[in-house]
Amino acid sequence: MKKTPERIESLAAEYVLGSLKGQARSRFERWMMESGRVRQEVWYWEEKLGQLSDQVPAREPPASVWQAIERQLWPQKPAARSTGGRGLWPAWSLMATAAALVMAVMLVQQPGSQAPPEPGSRLSGAIVQADASDPLWLVSESGGQRHLRMRSVAASSAQTGKDYELWVVPAEGNPLSLGVVLVGDVLQVELTDEARTMLHESRTLAISLEPEGGSPTGAPTGPVLHVTKLYEL
Amino acid sequence: MTTTTRDPDHEELIRLLLSIARSDRRAFQQLYQKISARMFGLCLKLAGQQELAEEALQDAFVQIWHHASEYHSDRGSPLSWMLTIARYRTLDLMRSRAVRRAGGEEHLEHLEDQRSGPLDESLRSAGAKQLTGCLDELSDVQRDSILLSYYRGLTHDELAMALSSPIGTVKSWIRRGLMALKRCLER
Repeated sequence: MKKTPERIESLAAEYVLGSLKGQARSRFERWMMESGRVRQEVWYWEEKLGQLSDQVPAREPPASVWQAIERQLWPQKPAARSTGGRGLWPAWSLMATAAALVMAVMLVQQPGSQAPPEPGSRLSGAIVQADASDPLWLVSESGGQRHLRMRSVAASSAQTGKDYELWVVPAEGNPLSLGVVLVGDVLQVELTDEARTMLHESRTLAISLEPEGGSPTGAPTGPVLHVTKLYEL
Repeated sequence: MTTTTRDPDHEELIRLLLSIARSDRRAFQQLYQKISARMFGLCLKLAGQQELAEEALQDAFVQIWHHASEYHSDRGSPLSWMLTIARYRTLDLMRSRAVRRAGGEEHLEHLEDQRSGPLDESLRSAGAKQLTGCLDELSDVQRDSILLSYYRGLTHDELAMALSSPIGTVKSWIRRGLMALKRCLER
């Protein structure tokens, strides 16, 4: 079939629409490879018909999709498999999105900040809500890295029968509970050696919504409301 | 080809794609958080079933990871480029599995009399607002054939059944509708 301008025009539109199928579609894809003119025509329709997608309502995909993408792109992670908590941190952050409550600010790490913490370095940060000007909590290490100090600023209490629970989220593996977080208080969380090491490695904290008194299982059971990354002062 | 300005995240998405082209996994995750819901909505609308939509979403993001460097402004806005990837992938999966929407044929029969069925009213009017009103200039059957193909991935056969018309007629509605659309958009 000859590539007349009329045919290119008509087939490109049908290709993008999806009504061109089977062999005709494959043949047209060959045309695309061969001809910049054909590609231009396809791109024209992709942009124009793409506008129709603006009105399709968004839907949060389940967290398992992100995990599957990670597994497919970066398959070998033996250490994580043994803990059964593979890809937990990305999954958490997605759950936070899915809950449509907040997006935590990700503070970009400075170059070289992956190095082990210097003796005097302190972690600090904030748990924020995307649409609020004040942070919900301010977080800082104190007492020579032995404690984490959490000051509630704009946080409001959890609903009746529920508590917020604070977690340190490792790069891989299961999160470690730092206990229930009360609103309207300055909270001093004592950091065990394990928690401190984990926190300095991942710098990632999360807050989940749990039954009153905290998670009964030792792992987060409710929605993850906030995930935040601390930075070094 | 003009670059669209309707997407306020335009610059941000380009920045993320550039980082992803350099294998920046964090940027990739940010991109996922930013657009996966948009993309999944489209896949789900098209496929009409959760499992296939999830698979298409996964495949689309894997493709984006591998092909981020191939994006350029001639391909339209970065969002439109990525949604196109997802849409093609969904169509491929639907065709290879010969997906029929559950209860689809029944719904399709209502299209004629009630002008509803598989194409919800919101999408019908939304489609009209887009494309600078050019869809309004098409005949009803031309517009519906195009929108049903776009949003629901109906094949010629399915369209012929939905619109109770011979397949040749449906094909020509689509072809003529698309060409009329282009003439209008070029004015």
